[in-house]
Amino acid sequence: MEPLLDVKGLKTYFFTEAGIVKAVDGVDFKVEKDETVGLVGESGSGKTVTSLSIMRIVPQPGRILAGSIMFEGEDLLAKSEDEMRKIRGAKIAMTFQDPTTSLNPLYTIGSQLAEVIREHNKDLSKKQVTEQVIKLLEMVRISEPELRIKAYPHELSGGMKQRIAIARALACGPSLLFADEPTTNLDVTVQAQVLSLLKDLRQKEKMSLVMITHDMGIVAEVTQRVQVLYAGMVAEVADTRSLFKKPSHPYTEALLQAVPRIDQRKDLKVIPGNIPNLIDPPSGCRFHPRCPYAQEICTKKVPPLEVTDNGHLVACHFWRNLSLAGA
Amino acid sequence: MRIFKKTKQKTTNKQETTTTQRRGASQWAVGWRRFKRNKAGLAGLFIVLFYIFIALTSQWLAPYPPRSYLPLYQGEAGQPPSWKHPFGTSKAGLDVFSEVLHGARGDLYVGVGATAVSVLIGLVIGAIAGYLRGGAGDFILMITQVFYTIPLLPLILLFARVFMILVAQGFGLTLILLLLGFFGWSTISFVVRGEILRIRELEFVKASQALGASRWRIIFHHIVPNTLTPVIITASLLIAGNILTEVVISFLGFGDANTSTWGITIQEGITYMRTEWWTPVFPGLATLFAVLGFNLLGDGLSDALNPRLRD
Repeated sequence: MEPLLDVKGLKTYFFTEAGIVKAVDGVDFKVEKDETVGLVGESGSGKTVTSLSIMRIVPQPGRILAGSIMFEGEDLLAKSEDEMRKIRGAKIAMTFQDPTTSLNPLYTIGSQLAEVIREHNKDLSKKQVTEQVIKLLEMVRISEPELRIKAYPHELSGGMKQRIAIARALACGPSLLFADEPTTNLDVTVQAQVLSLLKDLRQKEKMSLVMITHDMGIVAEVTQRVQVLYAGMVAEVADTRSLFKKPSHPYTEALLQAVPRIDQRKDLKVIPGNIPNLIDPPSGCRFHPRCPYAQEICTKKVPPLEVTDNGHLVACHFWRNLSLAGA
Repeated sequence: MRIFKKTKQKTTNKQETTTTQRRGASQWAVGWRRFKRNKAGLAGLFIVLFYIFIALTSQWLAPYPPRSYLPLYQGEAGQPPSWKHPFGTSKAGLDVFSEVLHGARGDLYVGVGATAVSVLIGLVIGAIAGYLRGGAGDFILMITQVFYTIPLLPLILLFARVFMILVAQGFGLTLILLLLGFFGWSTISFVVRGEILRIRELEFVKASQALGASRWRIIFHHIVPNTLTPVIITASLLIAGNILTEVVISFLGFGDANTSTWGITIQEGITYMRTEWWTPVFPGLATLFAVLGFNLLGDGLSDALNPRLRD
């Protein structure tokens, strides 16, 4: 069966005054029907830009230079802006990081949900739209939806705002949802609520979910497959369980080691250094300046994506020789 | 950081328990509640409303028509304040009280009208400057800065003199209104541009883009309405400035000689200030309170609506 989304060789660069930022540099990305994929990496690794590219809403001065984005068998890069607008929100939707600013402060939440519904279903009557808004609010477990539709964003808590934002993204029943760090700005208990909500909705609504996050805990909890990005390139793609058990890329290992564990009294391992400057990225493997296993070849040759014995896709010269620690 | 935020929220919750319980309060409603608690702002609002009332009804309130020297023929020129002439009469025979009332009409017309013109121009130019990135936006910003830097008063005086010969008399106030409006939009434009640069990066803009909203809808439904709060605040302060400038222009004799304004009355009386203080003092006080009122209102609005000052 063909995948729901199949991205190949995506390159999105930002043409800034300081130089060309290679934010996404040849990324392949696949999402099957009805699955949850984690898109993982540090800030600046290209997770968000990848998803914005797929929706073709890369902000200025960014541009998609190369690649193909096949969605439900059609190439999104070949579509006109008008055709894309009909896909955004209706078939592919996205929620954003910061629930405090992801809703317009001037309008009631009811009218903001209605806006999306009306945008994609022009012939619905006012009453039908309101009914649907209430249904959406019930779906994301907002109590007293009939009252809440008249509330303004500033009257709601962060968790509620994030749930409204999710409801808005699901308003037209998309088949693919990008959730960009949906829990980053929320309290821990609220995080759990939002995560379980997303998990349930994904099953009920029969859609695919892409979790964009840097939190390996969330990855373990909700995803079936993980794609690890580093500095705009794919580091590793694997089944979630197998990735946690036995990572094949040193960067994945470092990410897993950086998660605090309550059952092991160890110092937390930090990944030394920062994500590289993407205007002038390191030669060869982009991770080599921070990699404890780096050798001569890593500075010279970009490692190809290879399939390992346990089915991982990994971009590392030494995956055969390394025995890396899981979580 | 997180702990700090929480304690802060708790204290504000206590203060606003009564207000947050009500449902469905728009930002404006919340702003009004905050505004009501600000005594200076409220005073400003009452002053402004009072002036607007005077301006709208001056033709019925004033005992004498505008620029009428009737008291001279009644032998009552140069009299101190009395029951018949509450603010006295000028040497030439103007009833100062009537002139102050009619002046409110003329000066508010110029102050509010010029601001309206500036807001319109400033909104459009600021929105374009904020929306276009790169060279075109920078160029518009540069033009705005030029308008901001040039000394307005001499320029307006020059234009007022040049056009005064051309324009049929009686349109003098409208001419000053247009001049003030066309040259005074830069602050509005800066404010709008800055707000648009800020708002366009907020996530609800990205979110509505990601959910299929058209570019047109994003600009006019989501971005521009969010810039209105600071525009209203700036406009209120701009009205005060425009009134003051109009008074200066009239005082310097560049205004419309056939229409009552505070400036022209002050000018008539200033020579005889020593003996007949009432002629310049009352229109001067009228100017003072008008400017004060609009400034207080602007400050009050700013305190109530500015998100950065919000607790």
